[in-house]
Amino acid sequence: MDIYPRIEIDHSKCTAPFDCKKCLQACPTAVFHVEAVKVEKYRETDKKEPGTYVLSSPYRDKCTVCNKCIEVCPVDAITITVPEEVKP
Amino acid sequence: MCWVCDAYGDPKYGTGLWYLNPRNHSRQMYKLRKPSDKAKAFGEDPESQGSRRLQEIMEMRFGDPRRFAQMVEETNANPGGGLLQIGQVLPLKDAILVAELAYPVAAMMCICRKDMRAIEETNEHEYSCTGLGVGMLKWERWPERYRGGVNFMSPDEAKEWLTKWDKKGLVHLIMTFGGSYAGGICNCDYPDCISIRRRLDYGFTEQCLKSHYVAVVDYDVCNGCGICVQRCQFGALKFEVTTNKANIDPFRCFGCGLCETGCPRGAISLVDRVSLPALREVW
Repeated sequence: MDIYPRIEIDHSKCTAPFDCKKCLQACPTAVFHVEAVKVEKYRETDKKEPGTYVLSSPYRDKCTVCNKCIEVCPVDAITITVPEEVKP
Repeated sequence: MCWVCDAYGDPKYGTGLWYLNPRNHSRQMYKLRKPSDKAKAFGEDPESQGSRRLQEIMEMRFGDPRRFAQMVEETNANPGGGLLQIGQVLPLKDAILVAELAYPVAAMMCICRKDMRAIEETNEHEYSCTGLGVGMLKWERWPERYRGGVNFMSPDEAKEWLTKWDKKGLVHLIMTFGGSYAGGICNCDYPDCISIRRRLDYGFTEQCLKSHYVAVVDYDVCNGCGICVQRCQFGALKFEVTTNKANIDPFRCFGCGLCETGCPRGAISLVDRVSLPALREVW
């Protein structure tokens, strides 16, 4: 059973995470990860170009739901839901 | 001696420490693609495949935590199994010895800071990772995500460079890339350092073995200023109110020596791990 907070990232809103990097640096437990998905001729491309980097949350088991990432996100792309089973 | 020294050390060099064995820094150890083998496509090289398998294991945390714990145990029981790179914490003095031994030594960008905090290190003033050995000469052929340029350093410059990061409070971690080939000395910071995190948060030992030393406090010299407390990344050092001195838990200590280099009175020193019977097998 997956008891950890689920962090949904709306990639249609969060288009340039490597340029923005607000949530990546605000998270106290470093839950987020950013990776280049567009590599042309073995080179990463412009970080400001939409869709060249993608944000994920591989360490969401360390998420405390402090909601700092939601506060700093300029495009409201992050939502965190806590599974019913572990809700206080 | 740790298991890496048993496997890759040579008593002739550096009292048998594996990272002071010149063989582990030699050109012959660096794995080159044979001209006859075709280059693997992006994502199909051994590195990506290994990390994909590790990713599968990491995913088990969410679906099947018990199985995940089992896999961590299995991985730890099979050191050198190849799933993780071998990494070991080094105090500054040993990191400097390695920088004198390896050639070339170069500063480069840190992949963990890039991935976890989106930090871009693009020039010698920003680089925070140290690359060792002949692989550095081929940096233009690395996978793109590591390719932020390099700055070659003389042994003296490397010493100054490692000291700079030590002063800032980063842990030195020597990493292997393929077998026992020592490919770099990372300057690490929890939680964005993937190696320290895998050990502290998830229990994988191989990529962040403890160093061959343990820090001890000289209680006659320590005046309880508390400067060392903020430098410990492993939760081993606390300020003990009762005695008004620093207190180091030797079982938690990784022997990185940051408390030693940070102490203004020289009250902390590093002793050989194997000299303490209870810690001999704690790596």
